[in-house]
Amino acid sequence: MEKLKYEKPVISKITAGVPSKFGLPARQKIISEIDGIPVSKLMEEYGSPVFVFSENTIRNTYAEARQAFETRYPKVQFAWSYKTNYLDAVCNIFHDEGSWAEVVSGFEFEKALAIGVSGSQILFNGPEKSEKDLTLAINHNACVHIDHFDELYLLMEITQKLDKKARVAIRVNMDTGIYPMWDRFGFNYENGEAWNAINRIMLADRLELIGLHTHIGTYIMAPSAYAIAATKLANLLVATHSKFGHWLKYIDLGGGFASKNTLKGAYMPGSETCPTFDDYAEAITNALISSEIPHENLPTLFLETGRALIDDAGYLLTTVLANKRSSTGRRNMVIDAGVNLLFTSFWYNLGVYPSKSPSEYLEETTIYGPLCMNIDVIRDAINFPHVKTGDQLVIERVGAYNVTQWMQFITYRPNVVLIDLEGRSHVIKKKEDLETLKNKEVKPE
Amino acid sequence: MEIVKEVKISENGFVFNSKTGDSFNLNPTGLALIKLISEGKELDEIKKEFVSAYEVDDLTFEKDFYEFFTLLKHHQIMVQSDPLEFK
Repeated sequence: MEKLKYEKPVISKITAGVPSKFGLPARQKIISEIDGIPVSKLMEEYGSPVFVFSENTIRNTYAEARQAFETRYPKVQFAWSYKTNYLDAVCNIFHDEGSWAEVVSGFEFEKALAIGVSGSQILFNGPEKSEKDLTLAINHNACVHIDHFDELYLLMEITQKLDKKARVAIRVNMDTGIYPMWDRFGFNYENGEAWNAINRIMLADRLELIGLHTHIGTYIMAPSAYAIAATKLANLLVATHSKFGHWLKYIDLGGGFASKNTLKGAYMPGSETCPTFDDYAEAITNALISSEIPHENLPTLFLETGRALIDDAGYLLTTVLANKRSSTGRRNMVIDAGVNLLFTSFWYNLGVYPSKSPSEYLEETTIYGPLCMNIDVIRDAINFPHVKTGDQLVIERVGAYNVTQWMQFITYRPNVVLIDLEGRSHVIKKKEDLETLKNKEVKPE
Repeated sequence: MEIVKEVKISENGFVFNSKTGDSFNLNPTGLALIKLISEGKELDEIKKEFVSAYEVDDLTFEKDFYEFFTLLKHHQIMVQSDPLEFK
């Protein structure tokens, strides 16, 4: 006699209440392959968990962003935000596409130089720049984005010592209607501090002011905030010309464009609500073009968007370690990737999907990582199908920040793999081993 | 441990617990399983029947059985008065 198909026995409570406006998804999404390579094959070859990046997605996303801005504004230059993802292979793709480098530390500066980026195409941001870092930047003709007056005076001291000129811009913070206002970085626009800094720099012999920079926040859902920022920077640019007869070469609007990830607490999924590159481009370029800057003197528009360019290209493949019930009967699942690898899980409801057709029965589930710590929660509540120990899952949109902010904790950080345009996979960062961790430790004699 | 007398189970997998006022749905395997439990059968006997009738190995079934059992207790369809009772 032929046996009946087995499905895990399930009892589900019928809850009466206000039905969801959106209803349940008609079908559970499955991610069974990435750029043509089956998830099972990637995990067999590179282990679990494993980060996988798609070169195809990176280049397509970049092309989309470039097109949005270049069709609206004559001079656009992207600078790849190293802190978002500074794996050499990833940076190389952005540089190959024409991006400059945007770095925020001496380490990132050295990394960009080592990759082969010309010093004059490095924008040096951030509040932490030591004398050594600034000397390196000046010697390589990089553009230093000054964050505070102490840095400005340190620069004057170093340029005098080196008897060299430094190319500089100032970072400006301002009220764009976004909360929280990021006023911890740079000089404030509204209270006149930014204008003071410009005046001070214009009077310094060895500082050449070439641009203005701002970065209004992160995951900004309102393109209109960028229009306000662009207008305020344009005002400073025009004022600089009026007083000193000097046209600045660029305006840098920084980053902060939202990716399609869903923020915790958001009602609608990010994929439905996030502005497109066209929305941001329309707001920013309109503000610049309609400012008082004469068209022949329009500055180059620099953009340092990181998250929106790389988040979609990264996946984390993971394995189910266990299914269990909490004391209240709630379904819990443990996977082999923890929050130490997924820093972004602290602010996003990351999309977690099975890699093969699961049971049709969905149940609200908490997904835990494998760390022996209570905070290791990947998803608090997700309607998830029943999967078995050993089943493979895919977490999508993890390309930004995770492989730079990950922590080594109780186990090794995994392989990172890139799938190239021909559909071949390559390890771009090897899994750690005991040697990796031990070779920097020193036992006292 | 038995299914409490206030619980009624229909032929199509609808469960009503008049003690708590809650109602539930069972999937077909859940319905088959709860019927065997309500007949007072023990795990070994139920496991034998399931493994011969369904495409399932005994370890997977045993895991699922205990999880299902936990849910029945959680929904007060079965009551465990002694936390050290094990059946």
